[in-house]
Parts: sequence; structure tokens; C-alpha cells
Amino acid sequence: MSIWISILEQGLIYGILALGVYITYKILDFPDLTVDGSFPLGAAVTATMIVKGVNPYLTIPVSFLVGALAGVCTGLIHVKCKVRDLLSGIIMMTALWTINLRLAGTANVPIFGEKSIFDNETMDGIFSGNFAQYKVLIIVFVIAVISKILLDLYMKTKSGFLLRAVGDNENLVTSLAKDQGNVKILGLAIANGLVALAGCIFCQEQRVFEISSGTGAIVIGLASVIIGTSLFRNLTFLKATTAVLIGSVIYKACVAAALKFCEPQDMKLITAVLFLIILIIGMERKKKVKKNA
Amino acid sequence: MKRKIAAVLLSTMMVIGMTAGCGSKEEGGTSGEEQYTIGISQFAEHGSLDNCREGFIQGLKEEGLEEGKNLKIEYKNAAADQSTAKQITDSFVSNKADLICGIATPAAQAAYNSAMNAGIPVIYTAVTDPKLAKLAKDDGTPVGEVTGTSDELPIKEQLELIRRMLPDAKKVGILYTTSEVNSISAIETYEELAGDYNLEIVTKGISQTADISLATDELLGEVDCLTNLTDNTVVNSLATILNKANEKKIPVFGSEIEQVKLGCIAAEGLDYIELGKQTGKMAAQVLKGEKKASEMKYETISEPGLYINTKAAENLGVAVDEALKGEAVEVFAEISK
Repeated sequence: MSIWISILEQGLIYGILALGVYITYKILDFPDLTVDGSFPLGAAVTATMIVKGVNPYLTIPVSFLVGALAGVCTGLIHVKCKVRDLLSGIIMMTALWTINLRLAGTANVPIFGEKSIFDNETMDGIFSGNFAQYKVLIIVFVIAVISKILLDLYMKTKSGFLLRAVGDNENLVTSLAKDQGNVKILGLAIANGLVALAGCIFCQEQRVFEISSGTGAIVIGLASVIIGTSLFRNLTFLKATTAVLIGSVIYKACVAAALKFCEPQDMKLITAVLFLIILIIGMERKKKVKKNA
Repeated sequence: MKRKIAAVLLSTMMVIGMTAGCGSKEEGGTSGEEQYTIGISQFAEHGSLDNCREGFIQGLKEEGLEEGKNLKIEYKNAAADQSTAKQITDSFVSNKADLICGIATPAAQAAYNSAMNAGIPVIYTAVTDPKLAKLAKDDGTPVGEVTGTSDELPIKEQLELIRRMLPDAKKVGILYTTSEVNSISAIETYEELAGDYNLEIVTKGISQTADISLATDELLGEVDCLTNLTDNTVVNSLATILNKANEKKIPVFGSEIEQVKLGCIAAEGLDYIELGKQTGKMAAQVLKGEKKASEMKYETISEPGLYINTKAAENLGVAVDEALKGEAVEVFAEISK
């Protein structure tokens, strides 16, 4: 198996997470830390269902819904209890740690040998022989693209326009006689649903649920969104959602490059430097001009 | 425009670099001898795990597989990130390593996950419960081409030791991280066996390093002594715990040699270097083709060793009789910093 397949697989799985972070961070302008909890939440739900022998394809919608529920909770804490955005995410993230632990029963649930969306008769039948090594990648790619297209389509609906409006100008939404609080809750629900969906796929690809898998998920998500949107800002034919998916793959490529070329201890620093280089390349020229003028 | 060129350059560099890296499977093996490449994936930077790795390499060497001669070792560390662990072992698989070694449970699981369809054998170490981790079946036989060693604690011996050194103790405190499966299974065994020694186990669960200080204070108020597991979060904060325990004159028992060096009064525990050596020998058998990984049951360390720190015992006024000292594998008369 080529290392490229691994990068693309991981990149696309985290790309789905990045799509969720894109909604909260870029569209809603809401720094949502729930992600560190809702990512393993999706994984916990998936592992529990798979161990119980439920049809693995059911894990996809169920994870999305459970994640969305977590997002709704964050939204309610923020909108109804008037807690600051950052703090509502932190509260939810902390609560989800216990919920995940309780849901899964223990901190580490292996699902080797169980049926998953990647390992079942149908998929083994479709992907046989030489083709088998691309199985996971193709399935992940299909799910990521479907998520992206559905999100793009949603953004064009009335509700999608309202979502974008809330991030840009809350008053506009109020003047349209819409409750901006509800729109925010909806946005958080969709975002965390996508994040939990990424957790669901991640768990089945890794064949294990591990409670610590969510730690730092928000950082990867944010990095992917920023790499994607700033690197491809001039390519107008590329939709932001596509850019985010590519951004996530680039992030994983950075990690792979750091793993390849440096001592294990230096890995995080090299990843950080690569990340910085990409950001500088993608930086807008305008700011510099302003400074000189 | 410059920016775009730079972007293109950077990505090209990365592409070339990685492709070149992939293609560079060892050209060595000039001597007629067989050349082996192995990948070691360690989950986190951690004293015990480092010892495992060192022991593993020593064990291979004792079996005639020496780095630089007929063995190429690629070592990577996942910095405690599960998805990085998978990327590491995926890269070993794509480089067509002859064997992958996973150190600690998540790294072992990731290694088996990457290698299961590529037919590359996996040897693990420092996995406390391979059955729970689904790396071994209930009878101890492997689930596939994967086997190794478990760092299961000698809990019975440890309880005996506590009884012997502290005849009046009633309550033994254990600090553990709720997210570490290994700790939870160890505590179950402790609670099962404690009654036989007239001891009661008091546990405090934490979820992160930041909770250690508070939890230790609380626990110290309730118990006569503490005993450590191999819990990563707790062991990494051992200095804090020892400090607080010493202030209250409460002895702390360790679970392996390094902890005793740091000031735990004694441990009936593991020597991770030995564990690693044992693992290395298993790996050598698989590499040489003497046995298949799927034919070997996982192993635990043959004999637990007793380690005593007389300085720490003296500070706490705990008597260490000569007989006990005689049984010890190693007695430390100093607390290392």
C-alpha cells in the first residue's frame, strides 16, 4: 500500500470533520470546541453499535444524528442560557468525555473482525484482487464527496442563506423576522453532525474506538479549514467546501512529511513549521501593501 | 504570482521527497546474509516504553540480528496521537517492512490494523491485556499474524509485599486515569485479591494531569499507603504524588523499577528492558522463519522482580528486614532526581 493512499484516506476522513468546523468557524463565526467531544462521540456510538452487531451502514445516519444532538446542546447552552460561545463549547466538550466513556463502556473498544462499512461481503465482492487496496480510500472518498455536495446544496436553500447571514450580520436576520438563535443552533447541529460522522468513519477505518482520539481534533479541523481557504482563495472555480477537503489532505501530508524526514521528537515542530509556511504562502497580499503605504 | 510558484515548488518538493522515500527499500545486503527491515511504532514518549524499545533491540541482537549489520530499524513515535500511529504503521507497510513492532496498546492495534491485509507480522509489547485489546483470543492464541508480550502487573505478589512491609495497613489507595483500559482491568484484579490479604482498595479516578494534585490530596487523607499501576498519566506525575505523600508520611509502592529509583519504597514489578528483550527474541524467531506469529501465544514476563529503595523507606520510618533485602533483585540506597 502506498503512503499516498494512507494520506488521502486520513485527509478525507478529517476533511469531513473540517467541513463541520468550516460551518462554525467560517460561516457562523462561532469558535466551537464541542468538536473535541463530538468526534469521539461519533466513534463511541459506532463502536457500540458494531459490537452489538447492528448493520454497519446504520452507524452513519445514527452518528450524524447523535452528533447533531450534541451541537444542539451547545447551541442551547449558548443561546438560551446566554453562556459565551467559547465557554459553551468547552462545557459540552467536557461533558461529552464522560458521555463517550459511558456509551462505549471502556476507553478502548477494538472492532477487529467485526463487520464495518469497509469490511462486509458486499464491499469485499465489489473490491477484489488488485483493487482491494483502494477499497477504504474509495469508500471514504464517496462519503466525503456526498457530504460536501449535500452541504453545498443545503447552503443554497433559504435556511442555508439564513445561516450565512447570521455569521455576517445578525441584525439582518432579525429584520427578516427570523430568530437568529434558532439559526445558530441549527448551524451547530449540522456542524457537529458532520464531525461525529467523521468520527464514525474514523473508528471503522482504525478498527478501534479510543477515547483520546478526539483530543486536538479541533486543531486539525481549524488547520485544515485555514490551509484550504487561504491557499485556494484565488481559485474562484473551487468551492470553499472543496478547498477545505483539500486543506485537510494537505495537513495530513504535512504530518506524513514530518514523520518521514525528522526525528520522532521533532515531529510536532516540523508539522507546525510546514503549516506556517503554507499559511504564509496563502496570505493575502493586500495587508502588505497597506503597511507600505 | 510568486506565491503560487512557491506553493507549487513546495508541493513538488513534498511529492518528490515522499516518492523517493517510498522507493528507497534497502539496497543493502551485500553480504550473502539475509537483510531484515523492521519498523518500530511507539505510542508516546515515556520512560517505560523507551525501555521496552531498548530491550527489544537488545533482544534481537542477542539472537544475532544486529542493527547496521543484518537489520535495518526504522523507529517512529506517534506523540500520543492515534491517527498518527496509523499513518506510521501504514508507511511501514508501504515500505514493505519484514516485521512491525507496536509499543503500547494503541500503537499495537494500529500496527495490526495496517498490517493485517498485507501479511506482515506484528509483534507488540507493553500491552497489558491483549485479550481485551482484541489482539488475542480468549485462550491466549493470536487473532492473526500478531503476538507479543503483555506487561500485566504481578498484583498478587505486590499485595503480599505490602502486607509484609506494612503489617498494620488497612487501606491501599490507587490513583488511576478513567480513560486507561489497562488501569481499570488492573484495579479489578486488585479488588478481587485484596480481601485475601485483609486489605481494602480505595480508588480515585482522574481524567487528566491537571486533576492529579487534588485527587492525591483527597486520597492521601483516606489511606495507609498508595500503590501505583502502570497508568501513563499518573506515572508521568509521580514526582507530584511522591512529594505530597512524603509530607504526610504515607508510603508509595511502585509498579516497576524506574518508579522505585524515583522514590517509591518498593515494587514487585516489571523490568521493561527485560520485557522488551523477551519480545525481541520472539520477533527474531518470526523473522528467521522458525515460527509464525500466529503460532505463538502472547507471553507475560517470566518472573517479577522485587525492587526496594532503602532511602525512601528510611525517610518514612518503614523497616526493611534483611530477608526481604536478600530477595530483592536490586536495592537502591538513593533517590534519583
